[in-house]
Parts: sequence; C-alpha cells; structure tokens
Amino acid sequence: MSSILFIPLLPLIGFLINGLSFPKLSNPVAGIIGTIPPLAAFALSLQLFLQFDGNTQIVPLLDWISVGELSIPIAFQIDQLSLLMLLIITGVGTLIHVYSSAYMSHDEGFGKFFAFLNLFVFFMLLLVMGSGFVTLFIGWEGVGLCSYLLIGFWNKKNSYGDAARKAFIMNRIGDLGFLIGIFLLFQEFGTATYQEVFEAIKAGNGSNLGLIAFCLFIGAMGKSAQIPLFTWLPDAMAGPTPVSALIHAATMVTAGIYMVIRANVLFEMSPEVLHFVGWIGLATALLGAAIGLFQNDIKKVLAYSTVSQLGYMFMGLGASAYTASFFHVMTHAFFKALLFLGAGSVIHAMSDEQDIRKMGGLKSQLPITYITFLLGTIAIAGIPPFAGFFSKDEILAHLYHHDIVMWALAIVGSALTSFYMFRVFIVTFHGDFRGTQHQADHLHESPIAMTLPLIVLAVLSVIGGIINLPAFVGGNEFLAHWLNPILPEGSHEALEVHFASLEFLAPLAAAFIPAIFAIQLYGSKKAVPAADAEISGIQKIIYDKFYIDEAYNFLFVKPIQFLSQFFYSFIDFLIIDLLVESTGKFVKSSSNELRKLQSGNIGFYIFMMVAAIAIILAWTLKSWIF
Amino acid sequence: MTPVIALSLFGIINLFLGFTFKRQSLQVVTLLFIICSMALTAMDWNHEYLWFGDMMKTNNLSINFSLIIQLAGLLVVAFSNGFGKDEVYTQPAEYYAILLFSLVGALLMVSFQNLIMLFVGLEILSVAMYVLTGSDKRNLRSNEAALKYFLMGSFATGFLLFGIALVYGSTRSLYISGILYNLSHTAPESLPSFLYAGIILMGIGLLFKISAAPFHFWTPDVYEGAPTIFTMFMSTVVKTAGFAAIYHILDVTFGGFQKNWIITVYFITIITLILGNISAAYQQSAKRMLAFSSISHAGYMLLTVCANQPSTSSNILYYSLAYTLATAVSFAVLMVVAEYQTGRTEKPENFDALNGLAKNNPSLAFAFTVALLSLAGIPLTAGFWGKFFVFTDMFNKNLTYPIIIAVLMSAVGIYYYFKGIISVYFNSGEIEKIETSFLFKIALWSACIGTLVLGIYPTLLKSIF
Amino acid sequence: MEVSNYWYFLSGLTLLSALMVVLSKNPIHSVLYLVFTFFCISGHYVLLNAQFLMAVNIIVYAGAIMVLFLFVIMMFDLKKNIPDSKTNLTKLAGTVVAGSVLVILVAAFRTIQYPTPDESTFNPNNGMVENLGKVLYSEYLLPFELVTVLFFVAMVGSVMLGKREVGDRNF
Repeated sequence: MSSILFIPLLPLIGFLINGLSFPKLSNPVAGIIGTIPPLAAFALSLQLFLQFDGNTQIVPLLDWISVGELSIPIAFQIDQLSLLMLLIITGVGTLIHVYSSAYMSHDEGFGKFFAFLNLFVFFMLLLVMGSGFVTLFIGWEGVGLCSYLLIGFWNKKNSYGDAARKAFIMNRIGDLGFLIGIFLLFQEFGTATYQEVFEAIKAGNGSNLGLIAFCLFIGAMGKSAQIPLFTWLPDAMAGPTPVSALIHAATMVTAGIYMVIRANVLFEMSPEVLHFVGWIGLATALLGAAIGLFQNDIKKVLAYSTVSQLGYMFMGLGASAYTASFFHVMTHAFFKALLFLGAGSVIHAMSDEQDIRKMGGLKSQLPITYITFLLGTIAIAGIPPFAGFFSKDEILAHLYHHDIVMWALAIVGSALTSFYMFRVFIVTFHGDFRGTQHQADHLHESPIAMTLPLIVLAVLSVIGGIINLPAFVGGNEFLAHWLNPILPEGSHEALEVHFASLEFLAPLAAAFIPAIFAIQLYGSKKAVPAADAEISGIQKIIYDKFYIDEAYNFLFVKPIQFLSQFFYSFIDFLIIDLLVESTGKFVKSSSNELRKLQSGNIGFYIFMMVAAIAIILAWTLKSWIF
Repeated sequence: MTPVIALSLFGIINLFLGFTFKRQSLQVVTLLFIICSMALTAMDWNHEYLWFGDMMKTNNLSINFSLIIQLAGLLVVAFSNGFGKDEVYTQPAEYYAILLFSLVGALLMVSFQNLIMLFVGLEILSVAMYVLTGSDKRNLRSNEAALKYFLMGSFATGFLLFGIALVYGSTRSLYISGILYNLSHTAPESLPSFLYAGIILMGIGLLFKISAAPFHFWTPDVYEGAPTIFTMFMSTVVKTAGFAAIYHILDVTFGGFQKNWIITVYFITIITLILGNISAAYQQSAKRMLAFSSISHAGYMLLTVCANQPSTSSNILYYSLAYTLATAVSFAVLMVVAEYQTGRTEKPENFDALNGLAKNNPSLAFAFTVALLSLAGIPLTAGFWGKFFVFTDMFNKNLTYPIIIAVLMSAVGIYYYFKGIISVYFNSGEIEKIETSFLFKIALWSACIGTLVLGIYPTLLKSIF
Repeated sequence: MEVSNYWYFLSGLTLLSALMVVLSKNPIHSVLYLVFTFFCISGHYVLLNAQFLMAVNIIVYAGAIMVLFLFVIMMFDLKKNIPDSKTNLTKLAGTVVAGSVLVILVAAFRTIQYPTPDESTFNPNNGMVENLGKVLYSEYLLPFELVTVLFFVAMVGSVMLGKREVGDRNF
C-alpha cells in the first residue's frame, strides 16, 4: 500500500532538497538527487505494473475538505490506465533527467532546474494517479505552473518571459472551462471521484452530460494545444530543450488525452462532443502540419509536429478509438522525446544554433545523434515496421470506418508530416556545412549522458509497435486487452484489414512518397530553404503561421488592454475609489471618535461597566419589575 | 487532576531551583516541566474521571482545553529568553513559578464541576496575572496596568461571586450536575427570579475576563502596560480558559435557559465586534492594536457561544488554538523588535518601529506576516478556518445580523493587520539582524508551521476535537 | 430580655455609627466609627445564628481591611488635604440615585413575605464553626487545598513586587 504513496512522494522530496539548497550543492550531487526520484518511481511503477492483478486499487491519502455534505478526498487510483501513464512519465522522465545532467551542466541554475523538473514530475504523477477530478485538477494546475517556471527558466530575454506568460494564460483559459466542468459535476452528482461519477452515469443519472464533457474538453484544448489554444506551444520552445522534450512532447500535453480516456464513460454519453473533439483534432493536425512545413527553427518544426500529432490523438478519441489514441500517446512519447533530445544534441553541438539553414552535413560529426534522429524521423513518418506506423495507422483505420472525409484529410496530414520531418532531417544532417568556422571548430558528439537516452528512446521507437500489434499481422494486441476493462463495452472491435485494400495502402503511400520527394528535393538537389527576406506569397503566409498570433493579438489582447485602461481611468477612479475611500474614511473617523472612549480613567471604566450591568439586569428582570 | 498536582509541585520546585540554577537553565527546566505535565494530561485520553466527589471532571473536552492552555504556556516560556540579563530587576525563578501556578488556575477553570472550583481557579489565574502584569517594577505603565487590572478584576470577581450566590440560592446546589438536576425537576414558574439575575451576573463576571464589551476597558491599558511576554500569556491562556468557563456555564449548565441570556450575549457580541475592530483601526502602537484585536477575537468566539450548537465546543477549541498560535508569534516578534528599538526610537512598540524588518530578519518578518494573516482570517491559515467554523455555527442558528457585522468587521480587521505587514515588508527602515536564541527560533517556526498546516488541512485536528 | 430588644438596640447602634462615619470631619474618626459599625453587624450575624460569619467578619473586615484603611489614612498629610467638593451635577445625581434606591427598598420590603424557619428541619448547629469545618474538610477539601496555591501566588507576588531593590528610594 505505502509504496504507491512513495511514487509521487519521492519527486516531491527531490524538489524540496534541491529547491531549498540549490546554491550550496555541487552540480553532480544536485543532478543525482534530481535523477534518483524518477528512477525510483519508475522502479516502483514497474513493480506495480508487473504485480497488477486487474483490480482497481484506491489508496486514500487524506480527507481534504469536508463541509456539510461536500466531501473531497485526496486519493490515488491504480488501474490499467494510470499504471501505463506512470510508466511513461517516470521512464521517459528518468531518461530526460539523465540527459539534462549533461545538457545543463554549464548552466548556473543547474540545481534549480532539477528542482523544477522534480516538481513537475510530482504534479504530473498527481495528475495521473488521482482518483477524482479534483486531484487531477491539482496536478493539472501544478504542471501548468511548472511549465511556466521552466519555459521562462532562462530569463535573459523578454521574449522568454512573454512565452512563459502566454503558455500560462492560455492554459488558464482552458482551466476555466475545466473548473466549470468540475463544478457542474458537483452540481449533478455531488461528487467528483471517478468511481462514483462513472457509476452514476452508467446507471443513467445526470443530465447536462454534454455540457460537462464540453467544459472538460475546453481544459484539454488548453493543456494539449488544440485549436484555438495552441499558439503557446511553439513559443514554449524558448525553454531549454529537455523541458520541451519532457513537458511539451511526452507528458504534459498528453494530459488532455489522458483526461478524455479516463472520462470515456462521460464522453461516450455525449456523441456531439465526441464529434466536436474529432473535428478539432483534425483541424489542428492539418494546421500544425501546414505551418511546420516551412519552419526553419529545428525546435519549432518539432513543436508544430507535436501540435499536429496531438490533433491525431484527438481525432482517434473522436472516433472512440481510445486504445489507438493511447497507443499513439505512448509511441509519440518515445519518438518525439527522441527527436527533441536529438535536436538538443544538435543545438548543443552547434553552440546553441537552432536555424537549420545554418546547419548541414552534421552526419559525420554526430554519428549517434544522426542515427537516432533518423530512426525517430522514420518512426514519426509512419514507415513500417517502426512504432509510429502501427499507432498512427491504427488511428487511421478506425477513422476509415468512422468518417471517410476525416480519413482522407488525415491522410493528407500524414503526408505533410512525412515531408517536413524528412525535410528537417536532410537539411540538418546532409549536404554541406553552412555554419560559421567557430561552430565548425566546436562540433563534437555529445557525451554519453546525452547519447544514452537517445539510444534507449530510439530502440523504443523502433520496437514500440509490439505493444499493440494488431491481430491481422499476428500480434497479441496487448494494449487493447490491457485497457479493455476500463473502456466502454464494445469500443474495440478487432480490425480486419486486408493488405491490398485502400485502407492499408493509402497511409503507406502517404508515408513513403513525400519522404522520397523530400529526400530528392533537399538531398540530391541540395536545395536549401530560403532566407527570411526571400520568402513570399503563400509560403510567406504559412511561414508566418497564418498570422494567427497577430489575429489573437488584435481580437483579444488589444481590446482587453483597452478595456482595462478604460476601467482604470474612468470607473475605477470615479466610482470605485469614491465608494471604497469614503467607507475607509468613515471607519477612520468613527475609530477616531471611539478611541476617545478609552480615556485611561479607571473611574470612567467602572462607571461604564456598572451602567451596562444595570441595563442588562433591568432588561433581564423586566418582567418582574414592570 | 494529575497535571494540576504536577504543575503545583513544579512551581514550588521552580522557586527552590532559583537558588541554584542560572537563568537560561531555568527556562529549559520550566519547559521540561510543562512538557511533562502535558504528557500527564494526554495520558488520560478517552477516559472519563470525576475527582473528589464531582469537584473536577476529566474528559476529552477538558483534556483538549488543557493541552491548548499548556501549549500556550510552553510557547510563552520558550519565547521568554530567560528574561534577560538584568540580575537585579528580573527574577526568573519567581516568574516561572507564578506562570506554572497560573496554569494550575487555568486548568481548574476548564475542568470544573463545582462553582467553587470555578471561582478558585479564576482567582488563582487572575491573581497570578495581576502580579505578573506589575512585575516590571521600574516601568510606570506596568504599575498602572497592574493596578487597573487588579481593581477592575476584583470588581468583576465580586459580580461573579454574587451570581454564584444567587444561583446557589435558587437551585440549592453548587455542583453543575446538581444544578442541572434541580432545574430540570422544578417547574419554570416556581423558579425564583433571582436565578436569572444570578446567571447574568455570572456571565458578566466571566465576560469581563475575556474582555467582551462593555467590560473591555481594561484590556488596552493592561495589555500595553504589561511586559510583552506576559501580555502574550494573558491574551492566550486567560482567553482560552475564560471561554472554556463561559462555555461550561452558559452553554452546558444554563443551556436550557438560553432565552434568558441570549439577548444579552447577542448584543454584547455585536458591541464587542464593533468596538474592538473600529477602535483598533486608529492605533499607532502595534501592541495596543493587538490588544484591541484580542477584544475583537473575543467577539468572534462569542458568536459560537451565542449559537450554542453541538459543534460549539470543538469550534471554540479550534479557534482558541488558531488564535493562540498566531498571537504568540505576533507578540514574540513584537517583543524582540521592541527590545532592539528601545533607546533607538522613542516609541519602540509602534508600527514605525517595525519598518524594514524584512531586510535583515527574513524569518521574523515571515513569521509575523503569517501570524497577522491568520489573525485577519486569510485563507490558507488556521485563523480562516476558525472564523469559518464560527460563522457556520451562527448561520445554523439562523441569526444573520451578527454574521454580517462580523464579516464587515473582519474587513476592517484586514486594514490594521496589514498595516503591520506593510511596515515589515514595504516600508524602509534600519533594523539590523536581531539575535534570537535557539528555543525562540524553534517555537517561532513550529507555531508558524502549525498555523499553515492547520490552515491547509483543518480536519487534522478538527476530527480530534 | 427578648431577642427583639437586642435587635432594636443593635440596629440603633449600627445606624448611629454609620451616620457618624459619614458626618465626622476627621478621617480617622470615620474609620473608627466604621469599625464599630462592623462590630454591630457582626452582632446581627449572631442573632441570625451565623457564629462563624461573625468571627470571620470581625477578623477579616474589621481586623484586616479597616486596619489597611487606617494605615493609608495615616500616610496622608491631614493638614494639606482639603476634600475637593464635587460638582452640583454630581451631588444631584447622587441624591437621585440614593433616593431611588431607598424607594425601591421600601417598596420591596413592603411586599416581601419573610419566610419563617421550619421547626422540624431547623438545625441550631448550622452556623457553628464545627459544622462548617466538617463540610470544609470533607466535601470541599479540594478547593480548600487549592486555595493554598492562590495564597502562595499572592505571597510570592507581593514579596516580589514589594521587595526593595538596590537603589530604590526609602519611604
């Protein structure tokens, strides 16, 4: 029982130790103190996973708020879904911690970084281990906070702070919807624990389920960067690369998908919301892929790729393919983290250069990075037999049966994905070196602490498909069977796909053909993406992210600033200040008068006491006097 | 009963130890004594005893009150720093001995079953406080405070005694159980009228002790004149013991006669809240402000006494604990700052003397802030939950006017509590690093952390209360 | 002689000495008249069969408290002290309050029914010291012992407060 409580406790302790004493600890010690908690948590999670007997366990921690009939406990729930998330978070988290110990070794905030990383792991564990929406929300808010802290970790440039704030505010807007959803849950069911809510829904109670699902999804939109709350994710690349890998690829952004899978009972009862989820996912997938086509910052490409892949996951959820979406979550964690860490390795080798136009020909200098990045690229493009093929194509297969139009557009997105990933890969690693001499002198392969996680993740990206190999290729569909108990009845039908059907060949074509095209364009013809000043036309529109940021600025930010200025100068000044200040002045003047009552004259005091006693006695005994 | 005996013996031993021990060791010895008696108190948990033929009762409620009172005593002794180095004008052995004896009085007041025991306990507590108030012999304000306290206290004790006599005359018994039995077996018409006068007079005598208006006039002068360490004791122990006594008398013994005394307590509560908070708003001296704030807190606690719900006793306990921790910390910080500022400023206990504390003494400033936030009732501190429970009680009784006034007055309270926070953090002043002893730091931090923990997770203690 | 004769005699003496307390010019005379008044009241207590109360009254009130009064008055410089006359308003207020108290008392005494002691349950030993001692040492033993703590505090406190320190001025 208590080992479950240790899983989130260890990172919290790591945060406290590192956070309180970070200037005094040396870097290696801080790194070890920071890395041991996720490693230990991984070991404990693995043990729990192997011992799991199929029954959901609830471990109560404390009864947080008990007022009248409202009772909010904080407890942990161990079931199939949370165990898998635990493994991903702690496993990938440990690898990134190891990576960070080398990547951030020159940074003076080394200990602080590890403290924040541990705090993030703690909140994320709280999020996935919670037994109710309230605990989930505590973790939800906490990871938003840590994201803010870590994005703005290097506070050298204003733009970093702005990016952090943007991330936090957009998350907040989503959180408002989430909170309203939780309040509605309390109003409907009087509780927010998963077991009680889902029992009630299955028993047929509760109205307004669609509204609740929609509000909860708004939270997911913010946290998992869907349209319209996605613009924070590319800007979040201002943070250190391990942060991008951990938070914005593997774990935090998947919190929204976790929430929807967790609440699948609720969403199944509101098909309109599921429909909406699917289309939002599709739109995001396409938009992300389109913008990513022309980006020249290696991290931004990966960021838009993440946005796009998250869209795929939501598309899968919209088609009620919960297992497929979760499968994609797992494989995406592997290869996206790999890609980000690889990008970090490249940036580290290029002395902090991030523009791919200034890279090239790094293949010989960074062999391990090259090979692992290649494996990651192949995986994400959906080329068999790597992991990405199985997960993405399972989603596409479910989409084929759900909505052909969505399927077709998703195929287009998949093609775009393959194209831009290979574009980045080729431009970065092949061709002639386009950097400065200074950078050329310092080109070196990264240390073992950075390459080891790359290798591990690469292996996982390659073989990850076996987690849910579909039956028709002879697999055991482990993931589907594992998750079946917590998913709605009949949500998983075995897919029968013939090898020669459109359903099977179209994704393959969408994976291979753009890849070959990209290799041709950027590899053989050695085309280099144009410099900023030379981009024009449609390409410029896409390169400038469809001007969405500017649109938000115009539609939302400027009016709010104007409104706030108006309120400040007019209403605040004239009305509120007048009211509040006159109340304050009234209190002050009455206080001035009342304090004279305290004259210091003891005779007066006793006189007042006696007078009061006389009045009290007269009132009490009045029936006998009059 | 055992802690009463233990504390009396320890007091006597302390007097004798004054011959042999140094000052600092006396502090540690007294701490050990109080911890020992707390252990003896806690050993009786979940047992119910009646001592000496229904004179005193030990049950979970009285154990909880006793523990809070002894905790307050512990904090006071820990903050006392051995009473300084002055060999001539301070006698720590006597001070600690009288402190321990006053704890005896307080323990009697929370566990009494006979009105005589209430009187004896009240007198022991009061006389000890009169002595300690005047213990700073060179300071004219201390003498004045002691005299005022003594005169007005004796006056109020006279009323208490008169009330006891009238109650005895009408119910033919001094034991609480006897009173309850006799009153329930007599027809209401044949009850003599002086019973009601007796109840009111007893209430008045006790209300004086907790400084409810209009019997509060002694509080600002006495709190300001007494040495700060004893002010801390007075505002925590005396109030807790007083409220325990009021709860036993008004809510337990005469709960059936609520319609007779509720109008009085109702109006007293309202006047206390208004007077306490509004008078505090203008104060320049932080110590006097804290005195008025203690009057206002008495008003809040009276809300739940007025309401007389089943949860009243646990709410009084919780509020007393929250209030004790916060007041102890605020007075402690005030004490060290005033000690540092005497000689440097002409009014060392004003808010101006606190200016700029945060620059060189971050832990003191933080503790002070937490304490003031708890007193103001800001969420995440224990004071918030105290006020919340008290308001809930009154709400359950459907008496809404006092709640409205209490909430408005809480808002006024925020003003004068935040004056302290502002002068500590935002004003500029020159205060160097103040050296405090190890015990002082431990007490400060544990009280601070206790306030925050209770603020985040009130069920921790509420379930025991 | 009948008991009522004693009663009239004592009451007359009490009223006379009480009047002399208020009317005499010399404060020391006032104090002494007050002492005499207390003696008379103690006599009344005897008539009410409360012998212990009589003893305590004389010892505590006449013996301790009035002696304290005398001490303080002796410290005054009688030649310099002229009692400051109160304002007219205070005199008027005093008259009104005292007059209304008189009216209330008279009204109350007119309607009151004096209870007579029940012959069967009357125990003449009730007020005796012996009975009081029995109750005090059996039923009320705990408060009796705890009052020692009170006395202890008072003693220690008074010594601590009144002790003459080095450098204090003499009286």
